Amino acid sequence: MENQTLVKEICPTTTQEWVKKGALLVDVREKDEVAELAYDVPNIINIPLSEFEERFNEIPKDKDLVMVCKGGGRSLRAAGFLVNHGYTNVVNMQHGIARWVQKGFPTKGNTSVVTGSDSCCSTSGCC
Amino acid sequence: MTEIKVLGPGCPKCKTTYSNVLEALKQTNTEANVVKVEDIEEMMKYNILTTPVLMVDEQIKIKGRIAQVNEIVELLKK
Repeated sequence: MENQTLVKEICPTTTQEWVKKGALLVDVREKDEVAELAYDVPNIINIPLSEFEERFNEIPKDKDLVMVCKGGGRSLRAAGFLVNHGYTNVVNMQHGIARWVQKGFPTKGNTSVVTGSDSCCSTSGCC
Repeated sequence: MTEIKVLGPGCPKCKTTYSNVLEALKQTNTEANVVKVEDIEEMMKYNILTTPVLMVDEQIKIKGRIAQVNEIVELLKK
């Protein structure tokens, strides 16, 4: 999605494999977005980007981490932030929940909020 | 010369911040090197989470919201 080398990026399909191996998803969307539509996976925490600087210490350093959001942009910045703070087992999921839904992967909530748009920039905490 | 950077992926808020910087410079008759940073890798080097970000001489002054003209004018006076 983005041309950068700091953070490894994986697609939603590969994310499924990481999930099966026990990876923790870190959803950086805002609370209202998560309330509307959430990833339905066993290991997930929500730390909105607007609270990320204060709360990133809640994220364990000893687990494989997949950063996720709506379109993949916010989670990429959060992943870079974690890398800069010494996290080594962190990757970003490209294209966010929008592509996740397109692929038919499990969610809870109203999928219509992401269909038809790959944008990550409609909400606070992004841009 | 003062260096002002506006960091952001190019969204409307980033563009507004950039325009506000130009307006503040005009109002204060100040010369500065104004740079738009849209490259995600460069943004990550600064540990940027929320955009747009306004930097003056490599220091983050305002982040996560539009910098208003009057705020930038005040920053330029310092």
